[in-house]
Amino acid sequence: MSDSQTDTLKPLKTWSHLSKQRKRPSEYEVVSTNLHFHTNNPDKPFEVGRDAKMNDWYIKYRNNSPLKHQGWDAFRDPEQLIYRTYNILQEGQEAYVTGLLDQFSERGNDQMISKQWAQELNRLYAPTRYLYHALQMGASYLHQMSPASTISNLATYQAGDHLRWLTHTAYRTCELAKTWDGIGLGENERNHWENDAAWQGFRELAEKALITWDWAEATIVFDVILKPAVSAAVQKQLGLAGAENADTLLSLLNDAQLRDAERHQRQTKALIDFALTNTDNAPIIQAWVDKWQPLADKAINAYCAALTDLPDAAEEARAYAAAVRQSFGLK
Amino acid sequence: MYQIPRAEWYDLTRATNWTPSYVSEEELFPEEMSGARGIPMAVWETYDEPYKVTYPEYVEIQRQKDAGAYSVKAALERDAYVDRADPGWISTMMAHYGAIAVNEYAASVAEARMARFSKAPGNRNMAVFGTLDENRHGQIQLFFPHANVKRNRQWDWAHKAMHTNEWAAIAARAFFDDIMLCRDAIAVSIMLTFSFETGFTNMQFLGLAADASEAGDHTFASLISSVQTDEARHAQQGGPSLKILIANGHKEEAQKMVDISIWRAWKLFSVLTGPIMDYYTPLEHRSQSFKEFMVEWIITQFERQLVDLGLDAPWYWEDLTKDLDTTHHGMHLGVWYWRPTVWWNPAAGASPEDRQWLEEKYPGWNKTWGRCWDVITDNLNNDREDLTLPETLPYICNMSQLPIVGTPGDGWDVKDYTLEHNGRLYHFGSKADRWCFEQDPVRHQEHQSLIDRFLSGQIQPADLPGALAYMGLGPGEMGQDAHNYAWAAAFKKQAKVA
Ligand SMILES: [Fe+2]
Ligand SMILES: [Fe+2]
Repeated sequence: MSDSQTDTLKPLKTWSHLSKQRKRPSEYEVVSTNLHFHTNNPDKPFEVGRDAKMNDWYIKYRNNSPLKHQGWDAFRDPEQLIYRTYNILQEGQEAYVTGLLDQFSERGNDQMISKQWAQELNRLYAPTRYLYHALQMGASYLHQMSPASTISNLATYQAGDHLRWLTHTAYRTCELAKTWDGIGLGENERNHWENDAAWQGFRELAEKALITWDWAEATIVFDVILKPAVSAAVQKQLGLAGAENADTLLSLLNDAQLRDAERHQRQTKALIDFALTNTDNAPIIQAWVDKWQPLADKAINAYCAALTDLPDAAEEARAYAAAVRQSFGLK
Repeated sequence: MYQIPRAEWYDLTRATNWTPSYVSEEELFPEEMSGARGIPMAVWETYDEPYKVTYPEYVEIQRQKDAGAYSVKAALERDAYVDRADPGWISTMMAHYGAIAVNEYAASVAEARMARFSKAPGNRNMAVFGTLDENRHGQIQLFFPHANVKRNRQWDWAHKAMHTNEWAAIAARAFFDDIMLCRDAIAVSIMLTFSFETGFTNMQFLGLAADASEAGDHTFASLISSVQTDEARHAQQGGPSLKILIANGHKEEAQKMVDISIWRAWKLFSVLTGPIMDYYTPLEHRSQSFKEFMVEWIITQFERQLVDLGLDAPWYWEDLTKDLDTTHHGMHLGVWYWRPTVWWNPAAGASPEDRQWLEEKYPGWNKTWGRCWDVITDNLNNDREDLTLPETLPYICNMSQLPIVGTPGDGWDVKDYTLEHNGRLYHFGSKADRWCFEQDPVRHQEHQSLIDRFLSGQIQPADLPGALAYMGLGPGEMGQDAHNYAWAAAFKKQAKVA
């Protein structure tokens, strides 16, 4: 053996896999990068026999995705979010929301709205817990299927955010029912979600998104198509309708959630930019957008048609969604 | 926290099942991923998680926990405990981080499996917190050892180990991939959270935390006990699944899942936690023996939980109880002898005082294991270190991926439990390992142990250096005796005095 081979390996300043990069790694990089050991062997992800069926799921829907990149592990979250900072961030955001809820409960927000608006909330707001839960399930899928830990982690915290939104809805549904007893709050949501024309577009898109198994296509469907449509129609336009109907709390609550949604959009933009460093990916992504966008427009139109106080709601919502797509460099 | 008491609105957060119509229920929840086992959606809606937490509570509590653990680390950083810690304790930390940190992160994938695919809405919500918890455990257990990479190349393995074909890494992946990454949502809730996390994480995180406090390693103690508070919460996801399976005629399958997971966990712990607790941790800091911890947390407490749920103790319970006296001693001897093949420096833990303690905790140790250590000690004291180092590889079990061990001495009882399946001969370290294979041969049949790979020519050159290269171990990473044989020299001194 030559001397160089027997030389003891020198200690490094960081993990060996990061030591080749010139920049000193951040805390984010130290704890987030290259953690999916099951991407190492593309033909057999897991340390079980090859015939164990889960191998096939990951080979088909992750490793053999049409979206290709030399090294997904090089992706970095522009927000550099880690667990520690996520909780600091969201504890603060929840303190703000708790303050809102307290203030508006003291001011008698729910007593000041009309019965008609309470009924609208029952139909157009309370069922969001199903929609937000579908987003939560979708993010949980992306977490387990993404080809790099830094991509999975986007979905980890996003799943938490969607559960946050669902929690706001559940709480408000309960609170509203205390003032507006007997109109079906806390009871009719599933029926509205399954049958009301306003929801069918979103339900169709959500159900189909949830069975999109290819990780990359699912990312596009959730983060480029469905979530911006939800933000545009349900968070933004419904919030505006709330303001029209003396329900300031709703519009402020939805604005608070939009801060999460906008963070998700910044992360999605970075992921798409990263994917597009392989130019072969551009037509693949655009084809997925073209395939799914009509369903989102249909969902927006159906939902916004129910917002009778806002005649321009659908148009504005579609424009918002289009602007988000444009910011991603997509048509 | 919000004003209205949680109990009034909590149920709404988990009233989230609906009847799909644009896709079918079978498409939305594929059996392969969901594992509903024919039990209707409405029954899964009765799933009631015993530990309830909501989003605003979660982020507040977890922010506080992190503040605690990270501030202990920051406050003690300058103290540089690592530089004065006993080398045996350093090995404990290295083995722990390498085997655990990245697998904790992988557990977030298993949690996400439940969060997406469980038909029980309460399970889906709790698993979102579980996903976040395991994200935390991966991150914090990478951040802490990363502070030490400047000290020694072995610390790199906190991140690197799971990416390699080092044998202990293969064994750890083989266990965790089987019970958590390659299972449907309901099986994950039973095999990972109920079976593994309820019993075994207590061993690793509370048992080891007790030793860490004794050893004065307050950073590590506060870290792992903080991790365990999360485990204690999300481990409770499996109980309600078990109740539903049992009430709906699936007791036998539920029992089987529990039995497989417990056995495989036990084997991994016999090579990881057993040597750590009974040999690496300096004698004066050992709070209890490995066997005592196992009896307390697994044999007694876990069995009680099984019975409470209407399950039985696993069929091999007597074998396991007996093996508590032997298996990990054999594993330890193997790890120490094959020390160049691990990423930490195994402490022999065989000084005169150590051996007295071992004999006390495990009567008969001197007559059995002690005899092997006598030979090793003599060789070392006669300048024949070469005779204490390996030239070949040991026989490895096709289930646990660990060496097949027995008890040395007069009753030398090593036994290879074989099975011929589809024309291939498989080797197992115990009846229960073979039984695990037989429950689902398709899942395991193609897998090749390190020895299978060696014999089939995948490891080149086909000798120990070739194997070390295959395992990713370079000089400065390969293990050596933690105390540079000082423990053996102690016998020489003893002899001189006499
Ligand atoms: Fe964990
Ligand atoms: Fe866990």
